Amino acid sequence: MGKPTDLVQGTLDLLILKTIALEPLHGWGIAQRIRMVSKEVLQVNQGALYPALHRLEQQAWITAKWGTSDNNRRAKYYSVTPAGRKYLNQERVNWDRLSTAIDLVLETP
Amino acid sequence: MPRWTYKLALRFRSLFRSSKVEKELHEEIRFHLENQIEEHIAQGMSPQEARYEALRELGGVEQHKEECRDMRRLNFIEDLLQDLGYSIRKLRRETGFAMTVALTLSIGIGATTAVLSTINMALVRRIQAAEPDRLIIGLRTRNGTALGLVAGFDYLDYRQLSRWFDGLAAFTPAGQQTVTGGSEPWVAEAFRVTSDLFRVLRVNPVAGRQFYSEEEARGGARVVLISWALWQNRFAGSSTTIGSTVNLDGLPHTIVGVMPRGFRFFYDADFWMLVDWTRSPYATNRNYHNYHVIGRLKSGVSIQQAQQDVDVISRGLEQQYPASNKGNGLRLVDLQEYMVRDVRTGLLLPSAVTMCLLLIACANVAGLLLARGQRRVSEMALRSALGASRPRLVRQLLTESATLTLPAGLLGVGFAYVFQGLLLRLLPMDRLGIHQPVIDSAVLLFALLVSMVTGLVVGIAPAIRGAAVALSPRLATGKQVVEGTGSSRLRSALVVTQVAISVVLLIGSGLLVRSLALLSRVNLGLDPGNVLTARIQIPGQDRSKREQVNRFFTSVLEEIESLPGVESASLVNKLPIVDPGEDWEIRRAGRPHGSEDDYPAFARWVSARYFWTMRIPLIKGRDISKTDIVGTPRVMVISRSLARTLFGDRDPVGEMVEVHLIDSPYVRYEVIGVVGDVRLNDFRREGDPAMYLAAAQRGGNEMRLAVRTTGDPSSLAELIRQRVRQRDRNVLLADMAIMDSVLDDALGPFRAVIRYLGLFSGIGLLLTAVGLYGALAYHVSQREHEVGVRLAIGATPASVLQLVLRRGLLLVGIGLLLGVAGARPGTTLIQQLLYNIEPLDLSTYVGAMLFIGVVATAACLLPAWRATRVNPIEVLRSE
Repeated sequence: MGKPTDLVQGTLDLLILKTIALEPLHGWGIAQRIRMVSKEVLQVNQGALYPALHRLEQQAWITAKWGTSDNNRRAKYYSVTPAGRKYLNQERVNWDRLSTAIDLVLETP
Repeated sequence: MPRWTYKLALRFRSLFRSSKVEKELHEEIRFHLENQIEEHIAQGMSPQEARYEALRELGGVEQHKEECRDMRRLNFIEDLLQDLGYSIRKLRRETGFAMTVALTLSIGIGATTAVLSTINMALVRRIQAAEPDRLIIGLRTRNGTALGLVAGFDYLDYRQLSRWFDGLAAFTPAGQQTVTGGSEPWVAEAFRVTSDLFRVLRVNPVAGRQFYSEEEARGGARVVLISWALWQNRFAGSSTTIGSTVNLDGLPHTIVGVMPRGFRFFYDADFWMLVDWTRSPYATNRNYHNYHVIGRLKSGVSIQQAQQDVDVISRGLEQQYPASNKGNGLRLVDLQEYMVRDVRTGLLLPSAVTMCLLLIACANVAGLLLARGQRRVSEMALRSALGASRPRLVRQLLTESATLTLPAGLLGVGFAYVFQGLLLRLLPMDRLGIHQPVIDSAVLLFALLVSMVTGLVVGIAPAIRGAAVALSPRLATGKQVVEGTGSSRLRSALVVTQVAISVVLLIGSGLLVRSLALLSRVNLGLDPGNVLTARIQIPGQDRSKREQVNRFFTSVLEEIESLPGVESASLVNKLPIVDPGEDWEIRRAGRPHGSEDDYPAFARWVSARYFWTMRIPLIKGRDISKTDIVGTPRVMVISRSLARTLFGDRDPVGEMVEVHLIDSPYVRYEVIGVVGDVRLNDFRREGDPAMYLAAAQRGGNEMRLAVRTTGDPSSLAELIRQRVRQRDRNVLLADMAIMDSVLDDALGPFRAVIRYLGLFSGIGLLLTAVGLYGALAYHVSQREHEVGVRLAIGATPASVLQLVLRRGLLLVGIGLLLGVAGARPGTTLIQQLLYNIEPLDLSTYVGAMLFIGVVATAACLLPAWRATRVNPIEVLRSE
């Protein structure tokens, strides 16, 4: 595996939303989770992560709450709002359609 | 919670709890960083290595924070507030600069708006009608040449047969009417109009009603509309006026309405009466062309369409009435265009001058801002190094420019009102049809836009340069001991450009102002100084009493001339400029009837010594004398231009001419003399062709008295009035006035506009001086440091002064040369506007260059002198 693929913006939003849909997570945790789940393929550029989180928060897709982390530090936990969930589903459908389409193009001999 | 309320709450939080939000952001990033470090340590790195690695991975922390802030959107408002605060603090430290820019801009905006609005109102909107752009005037043509007035019955046919008008109306001066019924008879100006004239103009009476078309059809019912002024002055604005009766020339008329305040159309009038198509020979004969024709095009109809339609009617009339209508047609002309045709120059010139003023203001501001921006490139480079993006820098500078230009704009609006107030105080407002100052919003918007855009565009220049500039050398020279050659070159270029632009603009406006001055010094062809005028009228219109009337007038003139202080006294039927109109057709005797050798000329009948009284030069032959009376051969004096038209280079004295009179066509006269041309109808038009008949032969019981005095004419007014009264109680002597002031009333608006333009070009000069001084003084002050160093190492103040001055004046010199070179093609742009002046007018060029030279020298000397007085130790310490 070479250089980690740069994530296009819309995709990062989708990944973030999906990741915190299960349980509230802080920024660090989100980056770790995405890396682990994607088996080290997707490395979230941390410089992109926080602006994305703030943008999503401003859009009211996600909401933030201060909590205590596993190592007993104050951390900002993000969770998905109902509007965010709707947005996630919608984006998911879009993504499926997009990837199917790309697959089709690629698999055509 | 709905999504938008949530968003709103977040925005508020970002805006008003910004320090908390900021703290949280910091904490969030730190949390991330610590986790990262711990992970690296867990992987076996040393704490230091781990920290370094984590920071490297994260990238520029501040940039990320900034991006996060950007995401919060509200950054925009926050930045704005921040920038605003910063700008105000900065400008407070540079009060002189800020004041100069703000004042320059606001004066530019104010003056431009005031002048253009006033001119617009006074001249362009002279037509007092709704939707004037669809109004046309119909001009009679004869073999394709537009002559003007239309015959009454021709007009009726056009009105009846044309299809493309929402009304086609006509009107004609009815002359002065003697109004009786009050304590004393008085004279009023009246017009005869068709019943639909005011409907065509879409002007409604403020009280009472319009004319009804049946009233016109009945042969001119005796109903009248009166002017607002008359209503106020003679009827005290009383509501019982409507329906009351006045006697006009002995006939009772019912007042049915009052026209709006200040309403005038073509002429001032007190009464509007209905045309009478049945009685007057003026109306029914197709040979007499007496009516102005005004029409309103139906919406969507072009003037060409209507013209084609009218042409068909004209051809029909030609066939039907070949004797009178052969070769006649009707040309439709846009009324607005027609109204401004002869004042176009007078209208465009002042506008051009004020545009120059605005340009000077903008050029100044641009120069000042550029010079200031130059100094700030280092600051911008530093800001960009600290993480400010280029858009962010541009925004900051835009805010700064806006904090300068927006208040300046507002101040400009204030100035506009002040200037217009001044203008209107000098201009007789009623004559212009303006009753309260009105600022034209389109003009204001234009002036604001031009100046603001200048400020904004120029203002952001340093941001673009600063962000593009290589960082390290800029920062390294943050406190520049010796200026980089690049920036010094740019500053020099700025000074040169500023000087060049100022020269071009000064020369341009100088030429325009000189044209205006020439235009205002109109030579009327007579000397109105020390001439007292009055209207004198003998009641009754009995023609058989002509002898009696003549005797009376003669004896009155003799009596007035015998008064001490009176040089000469004379009579004329219409005063120049004041009483326009009355043109008749004249031709050389013996030409076949209906030939094309009939020329229109203004007809005036005068007593003996009229030309002497008015100082109209007698060029050839003899004056009208006291012996030219009824029973002797009919004689006339003609004007030089008429003599040329009729006789070319031949001597006209002794020649016979024929005049087409209303009551008796083609009466023969002998030409006995030629006098100089006088502007009779319009002071802007040169040399009106005129014929002067002998008043005693022509007759008429209403004349204008003209008395030339040796001293102040007003001192004699009461004496003359007494003498006339003593002779005959019933004689009306009215409108006593000094010719000079009567003419001033007519010329006044025009002259006042020019006076004020003089003032505004003065303001232009001031602005140029300020701008030039600012640019140059700044240029010199940038060398203050260098001067200090030079002084510290032993240079004498005189030598330093010389050095600075030489360099400054060199720049000014180059600018002057460039400016003069640029003025040549620049002035060809305005060549059409110039009146009696060459585009290469030497005195304008020299004047502009001298002015710039003096200002430039002062602008170099003062700051340089100040620089030499700086303590060199202080300069060196500030390193």
